[in-house]
Amino acid sequence: MLAARTAIRVLGLALFVAVVVVVPSRISEFRASEFALIGIFFIAILGLNILTGYTGVISLGHGAFMAVGAYTTAILMLGRPGLEAGGLSPPDWLPVGDGMKDVYTIPIAALVAALAGALFGLPALRLSGPYLALATFGVAVATPSVIRKFDSVTGGSGGLNLFDSPNLTGAIFNAVHVPGGRTLTFNDWLYYLTWTIALALFVVAWLIHHSRLGRALRAIRDDEIAAVASGVGLAWHKTLAFSLSALYAGVAGSLLAMSAFSVQPGAFPVDRSIALLVGLAVGGLGSLVPLVAGAVFLVFLPQWAQDLSQAPGVPAVIYGAVLIGLMIVLPTGVGGLLRRVLGPLTSRLYPRSQ
Amino acid sequence: MADFLQQVVSGLASGGVYALLALALVLIYRSTGVVNFAQGEMAMFSTFVCWELIDRGLPYWVAFFATLAISFAGGVLIERLVVHAVSRAAAITVVTVTIGLLIMLNGAAAWIWKGEQRTLENPFGTRTFDVGGVVVAVQDLGILVVSLALVAALWVLFQRTRLGLALRASALNPESSRLHGIRVSWMLALGWGLAAVLGAVAGMLVAPTQGSFDQNLMLPVLIFAFAAAVLGGLDSPLGAVVGGLAVGVILNLVGAYIDFFADLRLPAALLVILAILLLRPHGLFGRAAVRRV
Amino acid sequence: MRLLGVISLVFSLAAGAASARPAADPGVSRGEVVIGGTIPLSGIAASYASVGRGAEAYFKYVNARGGVFNRRITYKYLDDQYNPAQTVQATRQLVQQERVFAIFNTLGTEQNLAVRSFLNAAKVPQLFAGSGATTFGRDYRRYPYTIGFLPSYVGEGKVYARHILRTKPNAKIAVLYQNDDYGKDLLSGFRTGLGAKRRNIVATQSYDPLSTDVSSQIARLRSSRATVFVVIATPPFAIRGLVAANRLGWRPQVYVNQVGAATNIMRIIAATAGPRIIQNAVTLISVKDPTSPRFRNDAGMRLYRQIMRQHLPSGHVNDGFHVYSMAVAHTFVEALRKAGRNPTRASLMRAVASLNVRNNPFLLPGVRVRTSARDHFPLDQGQLQRWRNNTWNPLGKVISARP
Repeated sequence: MLAARTAIRVLGLALFVAVVVVVPSRISEFRASEFALIGIFFIAILGLNILTGYTGVISLGHGAFMAVGAYTTAILMLGRPGLEAGGLSPPDWLPVGDGMKDVYTIPIAALVAALAGALFGLPALRLSGPYLALATFGVAVATPSVIRKFDSVTGGSGGLNLFDSPNLTGAIFNAVHVPGGRTLTFNDWLYYLTWTIALALFVVAWLIHHSRLGRALRAIRDDEIAAVASGVGLAWHKTLAFSLSALYAGVAGSLLAMSAFSVQPGAFPVDRSIALLVGLAVGGLGSLVPLVAGAVFLVFLPQWAQDLSQAPGVPAVIYGAVLIGLMIVLPTGVGGLLRRVLGPLTSRLYPRSQ
Repeated sequence: MADFLQQVVSGLASGGVYALLALALVLIYRSTGVVNFAQGEMAMFSTFVCWELIDRGLPYWVAFFATLAISFAGGVLIERLVVHAVSRAAAITVVTVTIGLLIMLNGAAAWIWKGEQRTLENPFGTRTFDVGGVVVAVQDLGILVVSLALVAALWVLFQRTRLGLALRASALNPESSRLHGIRVSWMLALGWGLAAVLGAVAGMLVAPTQGSFDQNLMLPVLIFAFAAAVLGGLDSPLGAVVGGLAVGVILNLVGAYIDFFADLRLPAALLVILAILLLRPHGLFGRAAVRRV
Repeated sequence: MRLLGVISLVFSLAAGAASARPAADPGVSRGEVVIGGTIPLSGIAASYASVGRGAEAYFKYVNARGGVFNRRITYKYLDDQYNPAQTVQATRQLVQQERVFAIFNTLGTEQNLAVRSFLNAAKVPQLFAGSGATTFGRDYRRYPYTIGFLPSYVGEGKVYARHILRTKPNAKIAVLYQNDDYGKDLLSGFRTGLGAKRRNIVATQSYDPLSTDVSSQIARLRSSRATVFVVIATPPFAIRGLVAANRLGWRPQVYVNQVGAATNIMRIIAATAGPRIIQNAVTLISVKDPTSPRFRNDAGMRLYRQIMRQHLPSGHVNDGFHVYSMAVAHTFVEALRKAGRNPTRASLMRAVASLNVRNNPFLLPGVRVRTSARDHFPLDQGQLQRWRNNTWNPLGKVISARP
């Protein structure tokens, strides 16, 4: 029985990988960049799910951690020479380096975001429910002005341009050489990079779900007092969840900086944080694979709404109405629907929640 | 000194604006347990309704009270048609629905009223008076008086009437309220209706302070109203007003007197609020009770 | 497999190996020229949507009269919610998917900066960027495919400084500005323009575009006892700032930047705060004001109203953004005509850099759209205006607003 279940899982994962690999050859070059964007949001939503799905803490501030990741990547890629060439003067004590290849900045962006998450989570997690949610909302609100304030290293409201940087893989439309002798366009490269990382982080999320940590986190969500009584360290686990979740957001932000080949404060407005929560709700709290649906929703629904009508305000009405309708029909998101439909077939394929 | 006092007075004035919307947030949280992200947009929509009525020839006060009635009906309708349908779902689903409402109402207002700048009459007039070099506007005093009056009215409603008791009971414990014969689901609808009325008051009084308004009237106000409600305690009307005034004054003093924060008024104010919350996790006047967002 | 043709074409473009000289550049066909750009259609900056719709209406008007060399102009504008990351994605879509001939009229400084390198590397014209940042006119050597349109903020700041030096050389000056590139650019131009007299600026205060109110800043500015007040703010904050100044009993000589000085905005201030605070206020204007009685019988504005009636009946005629966007669209049509019967991206850029249009019906009389190989500021003239009798009145001749 156990072997069969593992086989199904491995098969499912292999299918997922196969789809991801094949997709670029079926779509246009532009669509590849759109699918990369879906991957980026998928990563961020996976991260938010670790926090909200497992510990029940609602964060409306994950756009801020994306900004931390994005700016870490951008600043490290440019390094001191790049920043100074752009007319900036980063303070001497700041270790911005001399310019670093984009992919190497991703783990650093992840760690910096995780640290930021821990630093915020440590005090903030004393707050409960709505107070914590609104505190994170405050962080999201404050992010753009904080970035603008430190313009000697962030470039202020104009931000940082990465397109011309030699550290951007595939910069200025140079073909990207990948192992195996193939060359990729920038958009295809972005797609493969994003989805490789997304798959890796997906597996990590899955492992967390099935680990002691995952069980402890869910115990906290279901009943804090009972969890403490059974020896779960509340503060430590919550901070860890917050930090892990910020780490995912940081990776997503780092990839977003590459995808948009630039960073600006205006790329991280409050709406960004709210969108991630919406994506999680649509994908389904506590799910894993169905979260892709949430990311697809975030990338495509605004476009579909715009295609229907460009009259002032109408796309927003359509977007809002579809979102509300979806929540009424699928209150547990796409993940909840799949659990209901597939539950009897593969009772353990999808992590349970609720 | 006059400078300092002027900063405090103008902080209290903008604080009054935050307090009005914060009151509506607190009312809905207290009577339905929901943090309503669409509260600001509901208020904005009501303001447009009032504008439309005046534009069609109604006198100001007739339009004012008609708007309150329409807003009440609108609030009840929203609860019945939308919020009720997800009342048993997880907190994140309810929050997402109110976000959907926010987006939809904003778009609908842009659609109907074309995104033009509109102006609304100021019921308190534009007079100001000078107290020892500090200028005080009648309009700002009016807003303060209205918010305090609303606090008193809410206190009477919640503490002194059976209806208020039923409202509180259904938010706190729907199951046992139902057993006591309270029509819980109508109580929730009533809560949304009342919050819509408070929002309408907020919108109609805030719009004149902004000079002109369009569909984005309440988006920034909502941010500060949240800060105010959290600072005061999400379930305390008095807290909402005190929180609003405190947010207004903190923003001004931090921005005006600490040069580093001159460009960082907003983050600085949020930082101060966070610090206060760490000492009092349920706000200045809130009571500790674990409920959903 | 993908369409090999498309790939190779995109690739040759992408690699910059345009040696194969195709018959026509993307976006140009027998009967059509497709251009595109981004505009905030939703979100907090949605009021700028008129900048897209007005241009679209003007192109419809041109198309109805046969287009340019029998080609109709199709203008695809996508919503970026004013978020530069979305601008990048939408521009990518326009270039790589919709295969537009040129990017046109994309709005916002950060938004245009975000796609500038990309468009120049792809050799796609980035025409008439909706930003007053000086870099779009100044840095044409590095970015030959980019050109701005709005009068430069720095130049505008210098004009106000020169006027103050001439009329009130010793006045103490207070400034309110938005704390982003736009506000800082205008302020720096103003400072430069004052030269040695920059010491006369006794107080500056900034505001965050996300705030609700600027009365605290105004109280600080008033206590500096300045007698000249320069307002560098968007309409809502210009209104709030001047209403607050009036309320505090401060009566300085006011300068309002062009962005916040539309007639309907000034009238809102007059209605809310009374006419005194903005009596004799000064601004710089280049585009005709649809609400001004001066242009009631003006041929250009009659054309404007006719186009609005026929091609954008749902739009608000008094919205000055529509006039601005038609002025830009008119300039594009002129450039396209000049680019020849078979326009290429290169010939379009040559045309864009040799404009001399005297009769743009949407610009103030005497304001010319002029560019050359070494002048990439198409709209660098304006006329100072003084607010009297509830409207703007010309103050002197058309002057240069070059940075």
